[in-house]
Amino acid sequence: MNSNPETSGLSKSARAFGVALAVASVVNALLVVFKEKSPALQSAMKKLTGHHWITHVVVILALFLVSGWIFSRLNLRFTTGKLITTLVSGVALASAIILGFYLIAD
Amino acid sequence: MGHVFFGVACLLATLWVFVETLNASAANWMRIRVASLAAAGFMWLAFALGGYFYVTAYAPDKTIILKGPWPFAHEFVMETKEHLVIMLLLLATYLPVTTAANLAANKDARRLVLWVAGLTAALAFTMEGEGGIIAMGVKMGLLHAK
Repeated sequence: MNSNPETSGLSKSARAFGVALAVASVVNALLVVFKEKSPALQSAMKKLTGHHWITHVVVILALFLVSGWIFSRLNLRFTTGKLITTLVSGVALASAIILGFYLIAD
Repeated sequence: MGHVFFGVACLLATLWVFVETLNASAANWMRIRVASLAAAGFMWLAFALGGYFYVTAYAPDKTIILKGPWPFAHEFVMETKEHLVIMLLLLATYLPVTTAANLAANKDARRLVLWVAGLTAALAFTMEGEGGIIAMGVKMGLLHAK
C-alpha cells in the first residue's frame, strides 16, 4: 500500500491498472471506428484469429495488461481524484464514441 | 443463455461490493474481497460463453433481425453491445485490484471501489437491457416472417 500523500493512498497496481483501463477503453472505441471504416483492417483482423471481434478483444486485453504493467513500473503519481477523473472520463468518452459512431456515423 | 445468467450474477456481485463498501469495516472486508473476485469470475464466464455464442451461432439471428421490423436491434444495439462489453470485462477484472486495499481505513480506496463498482454495475445493466432488445429483435423478425 502506498501511503505517500502525493500519490494518494492507493496501491501502485490500483493506480497503474486504473489508467490502463482508461487508455484501453479509448483505444477500444477508436479501433471500432477504424475497423468499421477500413474493410482492409477488418479483413486483416479476421485473418489473424478467424473473427475480427476475437482479434479486437485480444488486442484490447493485451493493451490493458501490458500498459498496466508498464504504468506500474513507472510508478505513476496520480492522486485519487485524478485517477477517478481519468478512469471515468476514459470510460465515458469511449462509450460516447461507440454509441455516437453507430448512431450517427455508421 | 448461460452468459445471461453469469452476467446477472456479475451485476448482483458488483452491487453487493458497492453496498458493502458504503459500510466498509474490518468485519466485512473479506466479504467485499470475495464478492469482487466473484464479480470478475462471473464476468469472465459470461464473456467466454457470450463470445462463443456470438462467434459461432449469432449469424442466423442476425439475418432474421435484419429482415424483420427491428433492424436496429443488430445495427445499433448488437454492434454497440459487442464492443461496450469489452470495457465491462476490463472494469470487472479491475474491481478486485481496487478491493485489495484496507477499505475500512482508506477513504481513497473506498472512493475508487465505489466508482469502479458503480461503472461496472451500470454497464452490466446496460448489457442486460441490450440483450433483451436483441432477443426481441429476433422474435419480431420471426413474427414478421410468418
